[in-house]
Amino acid sequence: MSARQLLASLATLALMAVFGFVVYSVLGTLQTKANTSVDPTQEQALLALPGTVYLAENGSLYSLHGLTFTKLATPAGDWYQVAPGPGGDLLAVDKGNGYSNLYLLSPTGQVLRTLLTESSSQYFDNHFVFYPRLSANGQTLFYAWNWIDPYADYNVDFEIQSVPLSNPGAYPTQWSIPNNYQGGDVEPLPTANGGLIYAKYATNSQTGATYSQLAYVTSPEGTINYLTTPAQNCSEPSLNPAGNEIAMICTNNKLQSDTLQVASWNGTSLGSPTVVSQGPMAAMPTWSPSGNSLIFMNVPSRGDPFQLYWIPKAGSAKPGAAQEVTQNLSLNALSAPVWVS
Amino acid sequence: MLVVLGFIVSGTGGVVAYFLPAVTTAFKVTGQATTGKGAKNPKLQAVSNPPPPGQPFTVLLLGSDNDTKFVSSHVLTQTMILVRVDPATHHAVMLSIPRDLWVSLASGGSAKIDSAYAYGGAQDAIQTVESDFNVPVNYWAWIGLGGLVNLVDQLGGVDTIAQMPVLDVQYPYDLTGTNPYANQRIAILPGPQRLEGVNALTYVRSRHGALLEDIARNQKQQELLVDIKDSAKHMNLTDIPRIASALGDEVRTDMSLTQISSIAGLARDFSNGNVTQIVMLSQYYSNQTINGQDALVPNWSAINTLIAQNFPS
Repeated sequence: MSARQLLASLATLALMAVFGFVVYSVLGTLQTKANTSVDPTQEQALLALPGTVYLAENGSLYSLHGLTFTKLATPAGDWYQVAPGPGGDLLAVDKGNGYSNLYLLSPTGQVLRTLLTESSSQYFDNHFVFYPRLSANGQTLFYAWNWIDPYADYNVDFEIQSVPLSNPGAYPTQWSIPNNYQGGDVEPLPTANGGLIYAKYATNSQTGATYSQLAYVTSPEGTINYLTTPAQNCSEPSLNPAGNEIAMICTNNKLQSDTLQVASWNGTSLGSPTVVSQGPMAAMPTWSPSGNSLIFMNVPSRGDPFQLYWIPKAGSAKPGAAQEVTQNLSLNALSAPVWVS
Repeated sequence: MLVVLGFIVSGTGGVVAYFLPAVTTAFKVTGQATTGKGAKNPKLQAVSNPPPPGQPFTVLLLGSDNDTKFVSSHVLTQTMILVRVDPATHHAVMLSIPRDLWVSLASGGSAKIDSAYAYGGAQDAIQTVESDFNVPVNYWAWIGLGGLVNLVDQLGGVDTIAQMPVLDVQYPYDLTGTNPYANQRIAILPGPQRLEGVNALTYVRSRHGALLEDIARNQKQQELLVDIKDSAKHMNLTDIPRIASALGDEVRTDMSLTQISSIAGLARDFSNGNVTQIVMLSQYYSNQTINGQDALVPNWSAINTLIAQNFPS
C-alpha cells in the first residue's frame, strides 16, 4: 500500500468515526425541547394593548407597555399577584418559604411600605396572605389569609379579611367563614356599594365534587348571597370599570375545561352568563381600563404553558375571537394580570 | 462497498451509544429483565399477562412514599390506580383503590390493601386486587416519590387547573430536607398552575387540608395522569434515554419497552373526554377501627356493581 493509499484509508476511517459521532449528536438534537419559559423582557408581545399590563412570572414582576415587557425593580424575593394600589402604586405579594408578606410598591417596583408581615420564627405563627385588593374608595385593603385552627391544625383554610390601608397593623376584620377543610375563600372583589364578592370553595362529600361558588356579602360575615350554583363551578371574578359586568371562569362541571364567561351585575345578582371563550383552560380574566375588552390566561393547546390572551368586545353579544398576546411565557395563578390606563 | 459498510457500522454505533442508557435502564426496571432466566430483581417477577392484540387490557399503577423513613424493599403503596384501556373504542377508565381498604391479602390474612405490595411485592399486590375485585390485571407499574418528580421535570412540567386551594402546614419535608420527619408549610392556589416535579408531587400527595383526605388526593392523582399524557404529546423516541436515565430505579414495571411504547402511542390518541375517572366514596365502604387502625371496610356489593359496570371481563 502506497503512502497515498494509506492516508486515504486513514482519512476514510476518521470520516467513519466522525459520522458515528454525528449520528449520535443529531439524535440528541431531535429531543423535545422542554416547555421552559423565557424571561418576558426577551419576549415581544404579539399585540400592543393600550395602557399598561402588570403581571408576575417566576417570582418577578413585569409591566407590558406597547409590545415591550419591563422588569420591575423589586428587591430580591419571590414577587407575585400584583394588584392596583392607591394613586397608581401597586400591591404585591412576596412569597417566602412557608409564608407570604404583602407590600405597597411604586409603579417601578420600589417598596414604599410593608403592609402585612406573616413570617414568624414560631412555626405555627406563619401564614399565607394572597389576593390583595383595594376597596372602591381606596381606603380598605382586602386579602385572603390562612388561619390555623388551634384545636385542629390540619384545618388551615383561607378566609377573607380586611384592614384599613392607612393602618394595616390594625386588628383585621373577618369577612368570610370558610367551609372547614375545603380550601376556603379566595379572590376578594370589593364592590362599589361596600359589599364583597369572593370565590368560596366547597367539597360535596357524597359526590366527591369540589367546586367554587361566587359569594356576595354586604357586611363582614354577613348572610351569603350565592351568585352562581355549585354546578356552574365559577371563580376568579373580575368587575368591569363601569361596575355592571363580571367576568369569571366557570367549568360547568367539566374537569379541566374552563370557560371565560361574562354576566351582568346589578349590585345584588348576576344575569345569565355569556361564554366569551371556550378555553379550554381559560383563567384569571381582567378588564381593560375602557371595559371593552378582556385579557386572560389560556393554553394554545392542552399540555402547553399558560399564555396571555386578549378578547375584544368582551361584554357584547358577539365578542371577537381571542388573540394571543404572548407565546413563550409560563404563567400561573400567582401571575394574574392587572390592566391600568 | 466496504466503505459503505463502514459508514453503516459507524452510524449504527452512534445509534447504539445514544440509546444505551435507555436500554440499560430498561433491563433494570422493565419487563425486559423478567423475560429471560437472568432476572435479577425479584420485584419484577410478577406475572405479565399480555392481552390478545387489540383487546382491552388492565394496568395496575402503584405509587409509594419511599422516602428514607421507610425500608426501600418494604414500602406501602399509598396509591393504587386500576386502569382499563380499550384500544378499539379509545376509552379508558381509572379507578383509585383507597389505601385504607381492609381486604383479604394474597399473602394470607386481612389488612389494609396498601400493605400487599410491602409484604409480597407487585405479585402480591396484583393477586390481591385480582382476587378481591375480580379484575384480571395484565400489567403493572410502580413509581416512587423521586420517580414522579423526575418524570414531570423531564416533561418540562405539567400545566393544569388546580381544582381548589391546597394548603397544608404539616406536609412532609422528606424529599429535600435532612430530617424525613420534619414538616413544611405549602400553598398551591386554585386555578392555572404550571407544576414542576416537586410541586406536582406536592399537589397530588397533600391530604391534610382536604375534607375527603386520601380520596381527594386520589382525584388529583388521576388528573395529574391526564395532565402528564397531555404534556408528553411532544415527546419522541430520542427523549427516551434522557427520561430513562432520570427515572433510574424510581420506576419499575413488568411491561417491555415495546409494550410501553405501544401504550404511550395509544394514550396519545385518547381525548380527555374519553377518560372516565372514578374514586371510591363513602357508599363503597364504612369507616371502622380494626386492630387499632383506621380502616375502610368494603361494601362489596356496591364495589362489585361498580366493577361490573366499568371493568367488564
